[in-house]
Amino acid sequence: MKGFTIWFTGLSGSGKSTLSRKIEEILLERGLKVEVLDGDVIRTNLSKGLGFSKEDRDINIRRIGFVCHLLTRNDVVAIAAAISPYRAIRDENRKLIGSFVEIYCRCPIDALKKRDPKGLYEKALRGEIKGFTGVDDPYEEPLDAEIVVETDKETVDQSLNKIVKTLEILGHIPPSGKQEYSDEEEEKIKERLRSLGYI
Amino acid sequence: MSPFWRKKKQQVCVIGLDGVPYTLVKRFTEDGTMPALAEIVRAGHLSKMCVTLPEISAVSWPSFMTGKNPGWHSIFGFTDLKPNSYSLRFPSFGDLRAPTIWDKIGERRKRSVVINQPSTYPARPIEGVLISGFVAISLCKAVHPPSILPKLEQDGYIIDIDTTRAKDHAYLTGELVKTLDSRERITNYFWENEDWDFFEVVVTGTDRLHHYLWDALDNETHPYHKMFLDYYRRVDAFVGRMYSRFRKLTDTADPTPGFFILSDHGFTGVRQEFYLNNWLKKEGFLKLQTPDADSIEAIAEGTRAFALDPSRIYLNMVGKHPKGSVKPEDVRPILTDIKAGLSELSLDGERIMQHVFERDAVYDGPFASQGPDLVAVSNYGFDIKGSLKQPKLFGRSVLTGMHTWDDAFLWSAHKPPENLNITDVAGMIMQHME
Repeated sequence: MKGFTIWFTGLSGSGKSTLSRKIEEILLERGLKVEVLDGDVIRTNLSKGLGFSKEDRDINIRRIGFVCHLLTRNDVVAIAAAISPYRAIRDENRKLIGSFVEIYCRCPIDALKKRDPKGLYEKALRGEIKGFTGVDDPYEEPLDAEIVVETDKETVDQSLNKIVKTLEILGHIPPSGKQEYSDEEEEKIKERLRSLGYI
Repeated sequence: MSPFWRKKKQQVCVIGLDGVPYTLVKRFTEDGTMPALAEIVRAGHLSKMCVTLPEISAVSWPSFMTGKNPGWHSIFGFTDLKPNSYSLRFPSFGDLRAPTIWDKIGERRKRSVVINQPSTYPARPIEGVLISGFVAISLCKAVHPPSILPKLEQDGYIIDIDTTRAKDHAYLTGELVKTLDSRERITNYFWENEDWDFFEVVVTGTDRLHHYLWDALDNETHPYHKMFLDYYRRVDAFVGRMYSRFRKLTDTADPTPGFFILSDHGFTGVRQEFYLNNWLKKEGFLKLQTPDADSIEAIAEGTRAFALDPSRIYLNMVGKHPKGSVKPEDVRPILTDIKAGLSELSLDGERIMQHVFERDAVYDGPFASQGPDLVAVSNYGFDIKGSLKQPKLFGRSVLTGMHTWDDAFLWSAHKPPENLNITDVAGMIMQHME
């Protein structure tokens, strides 16, 4: 299989890291070479020292994008999981990488405040953290992401199914062989379509 | 007690009439066959509408429900190819890759009741009630929430007529009436017993009637001519009742904003079926392992193009298909040759094709590359089929009606956009609900 990049974007706590790790497991099981670039981890090494100004955020996302580009062209599936709040930089990475699947982890801010696994929203709302995306710093939603997962409504398994199915439809990963219809149902569907001249 | 200052609901009611052409609505509302619809038409805007391609319910209804073309929702037909294979698969509701209008409405905590919506099987959760239509097989997989199943079973709800028996016209006509009655009973039940903001019911019997008995429409001596008109009178009465109760519910005068009626494609009579894969074979684009092979599963090396029903042509690309032979540099000349060949094709001096579109002309969005390289649109009367089971280029079957892409209709209270397409309707509905 050829390499491609899966780019998770969304607010802090919206499920990017969880889903990226689960997708990594699924793709490894299907025999693909996979590398995850998690925003939180990248900031401790590749982007160590960068802050949260717009300029620093853009540099961080460009760096992740460049590494994804290198991995993709060497037939690795690169999975980036970073807030990546600015549309223009995400689109810049899409252009650079080419084979690019954007996944927007959509979750309303109210649900995130309740979820708040790292206690960050609480701190941001108290003013203890400045420039927090979604609270006092902007997040630009994707306009045409290949996949939108609604992490406040869907279970992790439902979101994973959506992602895997789309990657299959796009031809990025081999099919699982699982069928939506039983053989008996498929036979009935064929008969009905035949009777109306559709096949 | 509800507070008196609560904002009035912006409710919407949509009636889908599968396969009903604009021209037939015009005719029946002018000649007295559909008096209730005639009243409605006078009060608003009846518009001719184009649909996405190919012009079949499997594609049109997803384009309606998502407001997007297939390049966005990823459903290009009743069939598609299994990955890395020439075997057919049957896309389901789970393949839909764009949010539906009910998903968007649901995000605002508004409830939908959707009855007999084609292309939603197996049903999945929505904020409200969903009863899937064609190609739904099992009622228990066709409903959400599952708690409504006993009511449907108890009422003897019929998803669709058994089209495999529709050649028997007495059976067909009897079942069409029974199915419409069953649909209306369930519609009444959910109208009364559910709290809803968006209500939709689709009548699919019109499409079944047209496929099998379109020839009865204009032939007064046809044994089913009267029945054809009678069925439309029943549909008219049903639409009239829905309109009246919606007006009463929303306390609105004509033209009743929030009420929409649409079809998913038009219909016309079949003069000849045209077998596209036979043509590709004859012209040397399609090669089969044996001369009498009747399926594209028997594709042989050297094939440059093949078709999937009804009118989708795919180039047999290296790297995309298992026996692919077309390289990127060969694409342009092959597309040009196929387009030229089909455009010149005629029968008894009449051109078969109205258009042969390239992919980029009809699809955009993240899944456009999964669509066919070419989509053919025939002139009225020439019904394109992919079947390899027929021995010739042209032939006839028991089916007397065929779909059209530029003669669907929309009725709305407000004037719709110019060059109306079925993908515009979701936006009009959302605008009303805002």
